Amino acid sequence: MERFTDNEVAKIEKENRSSWFLTTPFLIWITFFFLIPYLIVIFYSVLTPGVYDIKFVFSLESWSSAFSATYLDSITHSLVMSLLTTIITILIGFPVAYVIANASKKRQNLYLILIIIPFWTNFIIRIFSWKIFLSSQGLLNNLLIYFGLIDEPLTLLRTNGAVLLVMVYVYLPYMILPIYSVLEKFNYSLLEASMDLGANEIKSFFKVTLPLSLEGIFAGSILVFIPALGTYIIPQLVGHQSSAFVGQLITFKVKSIPRNWPLASALSFILLILVAVLLLTGYNYYKNISRSKS
Amino acid sequence: MEDLRLVNVTKKFDNFIAVDSINLEIKQGEFFSFLGPSGCGKTTLLRMIAGFETPTEGKIFIGDTDISKLPPYKRPVNTIFQNYSLFPHMDIYNNIAFGLKVKKVHKSEIEDRVQQMLKLVKMGDHVNKFPQQLSGGQRQRIAIARALINEPKVLLLDEPLAALDLKLRQHMLIELMNIHDAVGITFLYVTHDQSEALNIADRLAIMNKGSFAQVGLPDDVYERPETIFAAYFVGDTNLIEGRVIKVEEDYATIISQTDSEHEIEIDTTYHRQPNLDDVVTLSLRPEKIAISRKPPKKKDDFNIVEGVIEDILYGGTHTQYIVRVGSHFFRVFQQHKKVYIDELSLDWEEPVYLYWHDTDTHIIFETDKNRVNSENIMKTVRRK
Repeated sequence: MERFTDNEVAKIEKENRSSWFLTTPFLIWITFFFLIPYLIVIFYSVLTPGVYDIKFVFSLESWSSAFSATYLDSITHSLVMSLLTTIITILIGFPVAYVIANASKKRQNLYLILIIIPFWTNFIIRIFSWKIFLSSQGLLNNLLIYFGLIDEPLTLLRTNGAVLLVMVYVYLPYMILPIYSVLEKFNYSLLEASMDLGANEIKSFFKVTLPLSLEGIFAGSILVFIPALGTYIIPQLVGHQSSAFVGQLITFKVKSIPRNWPLASALSFILLILVAVLLLTGYNYYKNISRSKS
Repeated sequence: MEDLRLVNVTKKFDNFIAVDSINLEIKQGEFFSFLGPSGCGKTTLLRMIAGFETPTEGKIFIGDTDISKLPPYKRPVNTIFQNYSLFPHMDIYNNIAFGLKVKKVHKSEIEDRVQQMLKLVKMGDHVNKFPQQLSGGQRQRIAIARALINEPKVLLLDEPLAALDLKLRQHMLIELMNIHDAVGITFLYVTHDQSEALNIADRLAIMNKGSFAQVGLPDDVYERPETIFAAYFVGDTNLIEGRVIKVEEDYATIISQTDSEHEIEIDTTYHRQPNLDDVVTLSLRPEKIAISRKPPKKKDDFNIVEGVIEDILYGGTHTQYIVRVGSHFFRVFQQHKKVYIDELSLDWEEPVYLYWHDTDTHIIFETDKNRVNSENIMKTVRRK
């Protein structure tokens, strides 16, 4: 045990008081906009649905139906699709980030601007453009027919493929930017050291570059996976009704008549727990493979 | 023999010639040093040997094998990088084992050889730590172990001590020499620090603007510089340009050209005789010059000039005097061997005698076109 003089103790206490002062705004924010809303969600999930509103009668009905096959399938489908989105964005995003990070400073800025520009267009408009592009009379089908590659228009819209394509398109920048920020700071003399010690370019990549970029890949995965899991508008616009995301079901339960707010609340809460568990597992795994940051 | 040979090695970056047709042979097991100011091409030369740069022209051999076209991972050389470049995501064990793991050496052999290396660099207690947890000197040792475990033919060291403080640097220098003696591998040591190079190297090459100013033994390079750059870059020196007015057997008299009022006659014995009327440069090390109020009793074999003290710089082990002789400025070091000597009380503006032995005047068959040295001395004189 370390011993402190009275003066030091007083100083530390004073510091603790001031740090309380500094964290207060955040605590207020998280209480009012996170903790209380979620407590309301939990509270709603154990009530009885009315046709238009909610009846304040205790019931676990919503929880038992939340774990029924329909909803579990939807949750699984959301999980698989967002996992695939994450993997594909890593596979595309890493090489892109690598190329940007190795370009000249001037080019780097240009590339980054090019990545950010689409954000200036409204999210829903961008998805609608895809919808038009992929539709049976859309540009893509017309082009394919024009060049004689196909005779009949392909069903591109309202497929899981279309959902995946648009999700990758929407979330790719969130993967590229964190990986870029890690690679941009990467010490390339480590690659020279690796080659000097006998590892060729490929081995050096897997033994040095990749492990040292995990931080960016992990950050990017969080930024892609979490919104992808809860996405609502993308499958709604380009996906098929039969394979709905859990986000779509929640929306449906809230806005269609008869309403079922308790079930929507239960599903929301399951989604939250799922994200939290996956995040923690991912974080622990990440910490294990990059123990070095001590 | 596995000598390292550089044949006509040249490196051009666009229009800039970083390394200009270097020829050199380094014997197996030699401790060789490239010494030069920053930008002289020494690091580029080292990187060409390591394989990080390809020579624009010329070839690099180890033994009879031409390695100049091989990628770094196929060359029998290893490098100690200036910032060590240890892998931050691996512990010390895995850092050292890296090279052997890449070569798929058997696990038990890796274990043995890592332990052996840890013993060599005296770092056995730190095997499970990460590089970030080690001090600069410790990281240095790990970098050495990581390179030597691969048993390279040549170990390249790129200013390895530059990041360490003075005491640690002196200590690591001795360590490096011991390690060199223990493993018997050729060490090629790049530095801009002359005392490091003089201390550590069997032979050294002084580099300037992409070429060698001189290659030789440390004392040869210091005492008998062949070029003005070599004389000026290693240690301090007084350079005096002069015309040869008399040549006898093993003996020449030179008169200073730059000073029209005060003609300084300097006698010199020298193994290579200059011709009459040659214009040469004399290099005179400041510690070889004695400074006194009285001329020496025995005048034979001594050059004696009279001057006035312009500046005094106390330096702990010695005092530096800047003495004006005619239009020349002489830099003179006086060692503080004893506390009680008359000359300690020498003062500014005092007239003094400077004298040195004929054999301590060294002739360089080159003239100081840029006047680097005299301007440099002028700069050290403080304005009053």
